[in-house]
Amino acid sequence: MKLLALMVALPLLTAFLLSVINSISTFAARWAGPVVLLVTAAIGLSAWPHLGDTPQAVQWGGFQAPLGITLYADQLALLFALAITIGALLLWPGRGEDRTEEHPDDHSRNRLRRASLALLLAGTGSGLALSGDLFNIYVFYELLTVVSYGLIAGRGTSGSFAATLRYLVISGFGAALALAGIALVYQAAGTLNLAQLAQLAPERLNNSQGFAAFVLMLIGFGVKAELFPVNFWVPEVYATASSRVSALLAGVVSKLALLIIMRLLILVFHQPEALTVLLVLGVLGVASGELAAWRARDVNRLLAFSSIGQLGVMFIALSIPGNAGVLAALAVAVHHLFLKPSMFLLAERWGGSIKGLAGAAKTSPLGAALFVLLALSLIGVPPLPGFWAKLLVIMPLLALDQPLYYFAAFIVLAAAALEANYLFRVVLTLYDKAPAATPHKAHATVDLATAVFLGAGLVAAVFMLAPLAERFDFIAAQATDVSTYIQTVAPLSLESGSVQ
Amino acid sequence: MRRFTAALFLLGLGVMIAAIYQQMDFSHTTVNAGQLINAVAAQETGAANFVTSVVLAYRGIDTLLELTILFTAAMIGGMVLGRRSPDAPRDPDAGFILRTGADLLFPLLLVVGMYIILHGHLTPGGGFQGGVILAAAFFVPLLARPGSSIDQGVISIVEGLAGAAFIIIGLLAMLDGREFLTPLLDKGELGALISAGSLPLLYLAVGIKVGSELAGLLAHLADAEAVD
Amino acid sequence: MSMDIIDSNLILTIAAVGLMLIGIGGIVISNHLVRIIFGIALLEAGTNLLLLLSTYHPEASAPIIVDGNVPALMADPVPQALVLTAIVIGVGILALALSLAIRVQRAYGTLDMREVRLKLEQEISAEAGVEMPSSSHAPAGVPAAAVTAAVHRVTPS
Repeated sequence: MKLLALMVALPLLTAFLLSVINSISTFAARWAGPVVLLVTAAIGLSAWPHLGDTPQAVQWGGFQAPLGITLYADQLALLFALAITIGALLLWPGRGEDRTEEHPDDHSRNRLRRASLALLLAGTGSGLALSGDLFNIYVFYELLTVVSYGLIAGRGTSGSFAATLRYLVISGFGAALALAGIALVYQAAGTLNLAQLAQLAPERLNNSQGFAAFVLMLIGFGVKAELFPVNFWVPEVYATASSRVSALLAGVVSKLALLIIMRLLILVFHQPEALTVLLVLGVLGVASGELAAWRARDVNRLLAFSSIGQLGVMFIALSIPGNAGVLAALAVAVHHLFLKPSMFLLAERWGGSIKGLAGAAKTSPLGAALFVLLALSLIGVPPLPGFWAKLLVIMPLLALDQPLYYFAAFIVLAAAALEANYLFRVVLTLYDKAPAATPHKAHATVDLATAVFLGAGLVAAVFMLAPLAERFDFIAAQATDVSTYIQTVAPLSLESGSVQ
Repeated sequence: MRRFTAALFLLGLGVMIAAIYQQMDFSHTTVNAGQLINAVAAQETGAANFVTSVVLAYRGIDTLLELTILFTAAMIGGMVLGRRSPDAPRDPDAGFILRTGADLLFPLLLVVGMYIILHGHLTPGGGFQGGVILAAAFFVPLLARPGSSIDQGVISIVEGLAGAAFIIIGLLAMLDGREFLTPLLDKGELGALISAGSLPLLYLAVGIKVGSELAGLLAHLADAEAVD
Repeated sequence: MSMDIIDSNLILTIAAVGLMLIGIGGIVISNHLVRIIFGIALLEAGTNLLLLLSTYHPEASAPIIVDGNVPALMADPVPQALVLTAIVIGVGILALALSLAIRVQRAYGTLDMREVRLKLEQEISAEAGVEMPSSSHAPAGVPAAAVTAAVHRVTPS
């Protein structure tokens, strides 16, 4: 299990050394990144079955918790660590996108930089998913944010710079608030280790100070999770970044931030007010996101706003107390994890206005058919996976039998109707008669192949529904098992240090 | 109107924070993870400066990540600012006194920076503080002579190797069957210059990396074309 | 004695929260991007101070052993290490923000947040080939394509 640390260390090492490798052999520099990610993905996959019985804790540097920093691996964490590693591999941003106006020297350097950034994204994302220490989570999160700035600005247009700067402003604001929340937690509990916080939370954080810390961290980590009041960057960034980067950010990185909030809710913050805040912000996110998507006139921003709506559904799911909430959020997140990147890859060539897509199905029949499939799953048409994910959200919402939760269920259903409206508008345009003399560009083979691969995953899920449901049930149960978490990490009691 | 709402928002926030601090407990408990570290750090790491023990040993992965953030920021800075067009106007060189002063300062800053880095496990200071001074050593001459520049290729190789050294020291521990980033080597006598095992080596890597990173970033910023 | 402790802690806490509020105020009220970036820096400074204060004890000495003397009460080294990390992160992001601001100023000719937003909106709409959503900020009668053409002209090749 110690090898799990390599999922973070190896990509970082390679990213540092890439320019050195490049000065020796450009061929090696080109292939080092993908090969290392394959190795780390293999390490992660080989650890997967071992975590089925018992989660594992590894101490970075070998110091006993809470002195050192804990790496905590259960199947939930490993699932997302694998998702970011494999996602970075599939959507390798060094590929396929060349800017012609660059100086030739800059061109090769920028390709190296993009490869470094992809490696850093994979390593950091894995570490964020596996981290079991509050401040360590903050540092991983900040690194992930800086890496995303680079990926967005890497497109090199004036729009991408402006969008990155605006994203940086809101992220910097959020990160500082999250750090203030961490300060409040350390002040109250005297530890940053999540397992120890889980032990001490009922006594020391179940008060207004703990609630304030939660709200500060929710705003901070919510920036990446496209949480309602701090998500104005979403349409700007996804419209100006390259499609692969948008696919990574919307598909995987936003889920990592969600995972952090999920962990904090399960382990540390048990106030009922926290759940209400999540519910209200989630409902506002769904409503605002879906309405904006309905009004959007170009594909990229339509996808961006719809992603805000989907993340809102996940926040609503998280606000359901207990196991059911984690299960529902997990199902919606994994569904979105497959679906959104695929849609953004299709949008690579269809990025313009929706009207301009008329007749695009002729030039790219496979792409259009895939888009129909994805749209149906996103709306939640049975028997596609999207239907089951939404069912998992709505059933417990109704079962809670409280007006606010009824209202949330209504909003989720109304959002599905809106989604159907705007997605069918796109689909109808795709199969419309093409106006003469507007040839559509066909999809690049790599993009289409990746999109089809992800879509095939969704179709496969339909046939493996029973084992998948069982697995998700297990992961959610494992994640919500707080006492196992504490026993696995087994932090030293803080009292043992006061006697000197 | 906007300013009014903003002021109202701030006022509300201030009241909220004040309300929280009303309840906060200022009783100065010494029961926290830091005091646990104070009790055992001298035996576990062998460094006389416990902040160094926390930075490099107990929370070594945080430090690695923070180096990576600097690395990434410097890399993106280079990518964003791009290449200077050859005919862009430059500031003239500074006067004789500034240029000579910069030349005289260069060796002094190098020595002070290295001293602070190498004594990081004994006294306040260390890789970050010393690294910033190293960066200043290379940046001050650049300010005195705006026409000259630092070779970014060399910098990227130095920073890459320094960062890799940090990780490789961590990986060596894994080869030895221990966890990633476990301190290695003999701990030596507490307070001696050569003590605390591999921590001074880690701080040396940190210092060189921070120095090259900041020097590169500052050189890029100084080299950016003036807007007007 | 205990009165002094409460006072010093209270004053420092007020300073930290005050710095944070000034920073947030700068971010929320100001429209100039450089001022907003400095607002973030101030906010971070306040947060760092807050973090240091989380286990502050006025009588504690620095957690360093000099000549074998172990102080009776040592300050908590963890917040100090955390703040060191946070400061370095802040510096990296500050430099990055300023680099981006230089490029935005070069491309759009302005650092006013509202104008940058408007021009960004126009650039996205023009690239996608759709009209701008109607906005009260948009100059009347200027087609989006003309504006972005002007935007691209100031972008160095």
